[in-house]
Amino acid sequence: MATVQLTKVGKVYAGERGVHFRAVEAVDLAIQDGEFCVLVGPSGCGKSTTLRMIAGLEEISEGVLEIDGRMVNDVPAKDRDIAFVFQNYALYPHLTVAENVAFGLETRRTHRNALVAALTGAGTARGEESAVIRARVAEVSKTLGLDALLHRYPRELSGGQRQRVAVGRAIARDPKVFLFDEPLSNLDARLRIETRTELRMLHRRLAATIVYVTHDQEEAMTLADRLVVMHKGRIQQNASAQECYENPANRFVAGFIGTPPMNIVDGHLKAGAFVANGVSVALGAEHARLGDRASALGFRPDRVRLVAPNAPSSVSASIAAIERLGDRTDVALDSPWGRVVARLDADATRALREGEAAGIAFDAAHAHLFEPGECGGRIVA
Amino acid sequence: MKRPIFLSILLWFVLIMGSAIFIFPLWWMAVVSLETPARAAAAMRGGIGLLPRDPQFSNYAEAIRQTGSVPWMGFIDALSNSIVVTVLVVLGTVLSSSLVGYAFARFRFRGNTPLFLIMLGTMMLPGQVTMIPLFLVFRSFGWIDSILPLVVPAFFGNAFFIFMYRQFIAQIPESLVEAARIDGLGHLAIWWRIMLPLCRPVTAICAVFTFIGTWNDFMTPLIYLHAPESMTLAVTLNSFKGQYPGINNVHLLMAMSMLTMIPCIILFLAAQRTFIEGLARGGVKG
Repeated sequence: MATVQLTKVGKVYAGERGVHFRAVEAVDLAIQDGEFCVLVGPSGCGKSTTLRMIAGLEEISEGVLEIDGRMVNDVPAKDRDIAFVFQNYALYPHLTVAENVAFGLETRRTHRNALVAALTGAGTARGEESAVIRARVAEVSKTLGLDALLHRYPRELSGGQRQRVAVGRAIARDPKVFLFDEPLSNLDARLRIETRTELRMLHRRLAATIVYVTHDQEEAMTLADRLVVMHKGRIQQNASAQECYENPANRFVAGFIGTPPMNIVDGHLKAGAFVANGVSVALGAEHARLGDRASALGFRPDRVRLVAPNAPSSVSASIAAIERLGDRTDVALDSPWGRVVARLDADATRALREGEAAGIAFDAAHAHLFEPGECGGRIVA
Repeated sequence: MKRPIFLSILLWFVLIMGSAIFIFPLWWMAVVSLETPARAAAAMRGGIGLLPRDPQFSNYAEAIRQTGSVPWMGFIDALSNSIVVTVLVVLGTVLSSSLVGYAFARFRFRGNTPLFLIMLGTMMLPGQVTMIPLFLVFRSFGWIDSILPLVVPAFFGNAFFIFMYRQFIAQIPESLVEAARIDGLGHLAIWWRIMLPLCRPVTAICAVFTFIGTWNDFMTPLIYLHAPESMTLAVTLNSFKGQYPGINNVHLLMAMSMLTMIPCIILFLAAQRTFIEGLARGGVKG
């Protein structure tokens, strides 16, 4: 196992007539030995490109990449001792499951020992190595429950089975670092959640260093030891999942992490109160120190309470939609502050009807203030 | 869907008539090859039955014996020449066309598209245009009366099959190539161990067409080969006819033609299944 260290890593694509496109910019990231690091962000945020640079599938335009302390910028993918699990699995269609799992071991054997075997005439060495590979394949397939599938071809497998073979192929080589590129996105929802748990358990068993890319923030939060939120080629926050959720570094992270997303309202701060569209709500004494400034207010749906319309410190609204999820209910409200979502206890919402008037109140202690702009930083009171 | 009965009958009638028209020459050849010399000669003037009256299977042995200048051996020579040339040409065409097709499909290099278009453009040139320049080139190499002019060009690709391989390889997911790179394969190994096995349907088409084309090729061996013992079967057939002027031995000519066709027919039937096989799908989602 190993550490992965990115220092000011960037990726620039040369476009037509000297127009360059920066896919990744100045990414600093230190991944510890045995850490499960998840890169998450919307599509086009540069997370996959970053992963592919670590793998050696993309050239690194700027900066330094080190695996286990060794700079590997110019080391070809095959010599980086990494394993890559592709979104579409990329199993070799003409090989059986067993051959797929063994493939990486076979090619390595050919490279390293073919010459030695030829020179020494050691025919038995080849046989012994085959036995080692067979044993390894058997071990991996047992770990992943692939035993019954070893002689099947990929086209004869279900999506979940193919996914497991792809993981098996990665494990077989016992690489320093595992790289996953959205490995669950082709699975149906139920299987995705099951496989997620399996991956987490597998990580603990292997104590492997994993870099994992996904656009699904829920998947990211459940898997990550370290969550790296990316947007527009830059790291927006690099912290634990809980930290990203509780103390988002900026407005983008606040809006991206959490389901349903945080309610964010553009307005300004005026004497300790937040004013937007003419409606003002007092926040508290400590906010008065921040002075008067343009800002955005964020509060999570589960911190919203519904009160009587026109109650003090509330925003009056009407109920636009009610989504009952069994144990809880998501209520979408139209207000002068725009669309606000509240996540409420199911029992408390039985009497609510769409179209009714309500007041929105929230817990000021758990609200966040951000600088204006898409990635405006969090203002700490 | 149920078709009205009269429509079915009409359809069957048209199909059977069509098949009959296509099969007739072959059938005629088979019948004549089994006739006595007198009746075969009569067939040339228009009289033929649907079945030979008195099948002469010895015609085949006789045809083999009389092929070439040396009894029995002439046939063996021609057959082995044809086999050697055809196998080498098929091998060369499949290997070179798939390799070049892989490069066109997967390498991003300056001039990829223009080069590809130029290559496709060469398909417009009829063979007769290049015949004389090619002959002069091969003569300057001193390759006349050897199999080199027949075989070597095949190792430099065939525009149409390169096109087919390129199109096929282009739709194989890039991630497969990347997985192979991580597994430690270079481009040649990816071509050999990943692409060629996946391209089986294209290879089947390429191999069968090349086989039939080369096996039946009359012009190229005729131009480059002189010695009777280095001739291929297709050319020997012709000298067969020249050997016995007139139409006296037409039954032997037909017998020999039947024999010559057999490998092509067997190969075509054997490869038919692979033609329609879509192997590339399955390793990725979908």
